[in-house]
Amino acid sequence: MSTSDDSGPGYAGRNALVAEYVLGLLSEAEHKRIGRLIEDDQALRAERDFWVARFGELNEEYAETPAPQHIYKAIEARVFGASQQKTGWWESLTVWRAMAGGAAAVAVAAIGLNLVEPRQDVGALTTQLVAALEEEGSNVKFVALYDGSGNVRLTALSGEAVPDRDFELWAIQGGNNPVSMGVVPVNARSSVAVPQNVLAGLGDGSVLAITLEPKGGSPTGGPTGPIVAKGAVTPI
Amino acid sequence: MVVQNTPSRDIADLIGRCAMRDRAAFRSLYERTSAKLFGVTLRILKDRSEAEEAIQEVYVKIWQRADRYVAGSTSPISWMVAVARNHALDILRARRPMSDDIDVALDIPDAGPSPERATQDNEERGQIERCLATLEADRANAVRGAYLDGYSYEELAERYAVPLNTMRTWLRRSLLKLKDCLTA
Repeated sequence: MSTSDDSGPGYAGRNALVAEYVLGLLSEAEHKRIGRLIEDDQALRAERDFWVARFGELNEEYAETPAPQHIYKAIEARVFGASQQKTGWWESLTVWRAMAGGAAAVAVAAIGLNLVEPRQDVGALTTQLVAALEEEGSNVKFVALYDGSGNVRLTALSGEAVPDRDFELWAIQGGNNPVSMGVVPVNARSSVAVPQNVLAGLGDGSVLAITLEPKGGSPTGGPTGPIVAKGAVTPI
Repeated sequence: MVVQNTPSRDIADLIGRCAMRDRAAFRSLYERTSAKLFGVTLRILKDRSEAEEAIQEVYVKIWQRADRYVAGSTSPISWMVAVARNHALDILRARRPMSDDIDVALDIPDAGPSPERATQDNEERGQIERCLATLEADRANAVRGAYLDGYSYEELAERYAVPLNTMRTWLRRSLLKLKDCLTA
């Protein structure tokens, strides 16, 4: 019943599924199925964007209607309310911990350990560590390898440079503020000397994250942009 | 290339600053665009309290997805309207009874617009109106109702007092005609 090519003479073999998808005419299951096909195909994405742009010309017909005063407060509470931090960073960190699933328990254990037993003998960190850095909704992917001698080698697997912005690498250890490890190139391998304060706590449970920052890196010393990739550090 | 007008560029800048987690920009963006987006959720959901709940979820999504807005691919307000419209449609769709679709092969468009062509098209206004005018009035209005009000095939069939399958055929044929007209 959902054959879309039954449109009569002159339309044999053609269907209007992408347009029906954009209009929202498909059933929930069909909408999801077609949505996935579109995401996976460049030509279908172009077709979708074509219809979105063309039908978008009708948007003028939506009458502007002021929303009630209390709505913005409610939105603010939902967007920023989970934490009272200056940035969305901790919100994202919470998301990360949730996403990390089983690793969260390990992370919490490691945080506890670090609080009780801060590791001061930095020279002793000879273990090799690895982290895969990625984030849902972002195509930026890095692999980070701590070589056991004070350097993190970063290899970009995917992602493109963003005009007038830089990618910045951060280490997050326990409940401490993220520590910058500097701006990193997206199209090349690079090696970053691990700052002493990071090396002290680096290990299982540490998180490395990359954020999009203004050119030259965050002006505030803490992350200000969205996280484009992150991952937990594990020994190898 | 047509230079984007200033209000549009302002909104694109505000979305960009939201991607950088700038809360003041988020507030400005809300102040500039919420009446339009509330108009969208209200028209589709046709219930004030549902529209008020939906508009909150829409702005949460805009904050979360601000980094996915690609400037230039579509106008910033069109992108925001699409987020609001899709959210309202998701709410309606989830409520509709399960249908017995069979999997239809999706033909890969060979005559579809290239991305370049799609961008050029973005700069030409009024095409959709010109092409809708080539359809019979009822059919053009059914397409408008599907887009602007989020009507389902069932609702459209009822409004135009035709059998469901007739409405499906009307709509699909109209969409193919529209595409021919829009890409001619």
